Amino acid sequence: MTTLLYTHPACLEHDTGFGHPECPARLTAILNVLHTSPFAALEWRDAPQAEIAQLTRIHPQGHVERLLACVPRQGHYAIDGDTILSPRSGEAALRAAGAVCAAVDAVLKGEASNAFCAIRPPGHHAEPKQAMGFCLLDNAAIGAAHARAAHGLERVAIIDFDVHHGNGTQAAFEQEAGYLYISTHQAHIYPGTGRRNERGVGNIVNIPLLANSGTADLRHVWRQDIEPALREFQPQLILISAGFDAHYLDPLAELNFNEDDYRWLTEQILAMAAEYGQGRVVSVLEGGYNLPALAASVAAHVKALMEAPRIVQRSLVKGILERRKAKKNAASS
Amino acid sequence: MYEFLQYQVCDVMTGDPITIGPDAKLREVEELFESHDFNGVPVVDAQRRLLGVVTKFDLLKAFSFDAHALIPHYDEIMEQPAEAVMSRDPVSVAPHLPLSRLLQKMVEMRAKSLPVVENDRLIGVIAREDVLKALRRATIRHELPVHEEPSP
Repeated sequence: MTTLLYTHPACLEHDTGFGHPECPARLTAILNVLHTSPFAALEWRDAPQAEIAQLTRIHPQGHVERLLACVPRQGHYAIDGDTILSPRSGEAALRAAGAVCAAVDAVLKGEASNAFCAIRPPGHHAEPKQAMGFCLLDNAAIGAAHARAAHGLERVAIIDFDVHHGNGTQAAFEQEAGYLYISTHQAHIYPGTGRRNERGVGNIVNIPLLANSGTADLRHVWRQDIEPALREFQPQLILISAGFDAHYLDPLAELNFNEDDYRWLTEQILAMAAEYGQGRVVSVLEGGYNLPALAASVAAHVKALMEAPRIVQRSLVKGILERRKAKKNAASS
Repeated sequence: MYEFLQYQVCDVMTGDPITIGPDAKLREVEELFESHDFNGVPVVDAQRRLLGVVTKFDLLKAFSFDAHALIPHYDEIMEQPAEAVMSRDPVSVAPHLPLSRLLQKMVEMRAKSLPVVENDRLIGVIAREDVLKALRRATIRHELPVHEEPSP
């Protein structure tokens, strides 16, 4: 089964103003690399606009209406110093959220085992009643809620490896035990939330990392925090808030992940999805502001998604061998 | 407004900086500080590998009171080699580090300047003044037109 790629031209027309780091060129850089021959097997699909009923599972209807009413006819409108609207921002936001819902539908219907949503504006800072931090609607949260409401899933996990904490997603789900939210992020930077002691109803796992943390720290927290939390929760579907701004060349933060770390992390997530959720993964673009680093990181991430069957098989074989070895050790001792 | 995010260390650093060898005397280092306006000087070996950094602070520290003598032996200390007082294993940065991250590091370390190293060789020095100049350049143009209205 192939990997689906959801995107839409409207996402390129959300204009944040001259020089803004969350710019259309981010998406252009990503789509350019995904158009090259190693990615020929991707199945490209147009992102539909989300329906209002899909948004209101996370954002109150009044808030959505006020937000869309702020979209200017011309020029720009600043929600805050970071978060800028242009005339096409409304449609872009609806397509971004719609992409995730459509990807969830396709993956849960078995049309593909996984999907990547190459969309902007990003979503994970958008709180139920407040757009902020470049984000208008919480795309990943809307997709997760859709999986439960429209498909009757009981346990949906969101893994957020953007360098910033996803305050919006946490706010949406901190009282909802049917969702597990796991976030790695740099401590003490925007938006200031995401401390370890913010645990929701036991369904929020925050993993703040100190500036300059890199490959070894990522692998450590995977074993220590992320994998155990996933094994306990046993998600039927995993969504990824895939920000690539923890890259060592990113100008907005100070973590030191590289492209190979993103490949590795994606493979670990796929193995967990195979064990508990029939391999179902929907990944959603969040941040990443150094264009070459972003393109290379997305390429590594999507390549891993496309190679899921091989990765899953390898991890299953590894699991069988480990269990056999453990049994043998137990018998001989 | 966001142009600063595009800058990297190599865009604004001083390339091919003045350096000293490990056996340069502190008297020579002091003279260097008097004739130039920099705060620290990199110490390199013959292959231009970075061995350390001597700053004005390191120099002052060499003359401070310690357990070895009741009064510092000022004349003798001036004849010591740079390697006796330099900070070893100094923090250095790569030329392609985004300037925003360099700024962050400078603030956290309260550093006045940092050596720039590529492939194990010293290729430049970046100082607070270089970053300030880049900040001015990045903010001088392009004000984003926005309507200031209450947020939704």
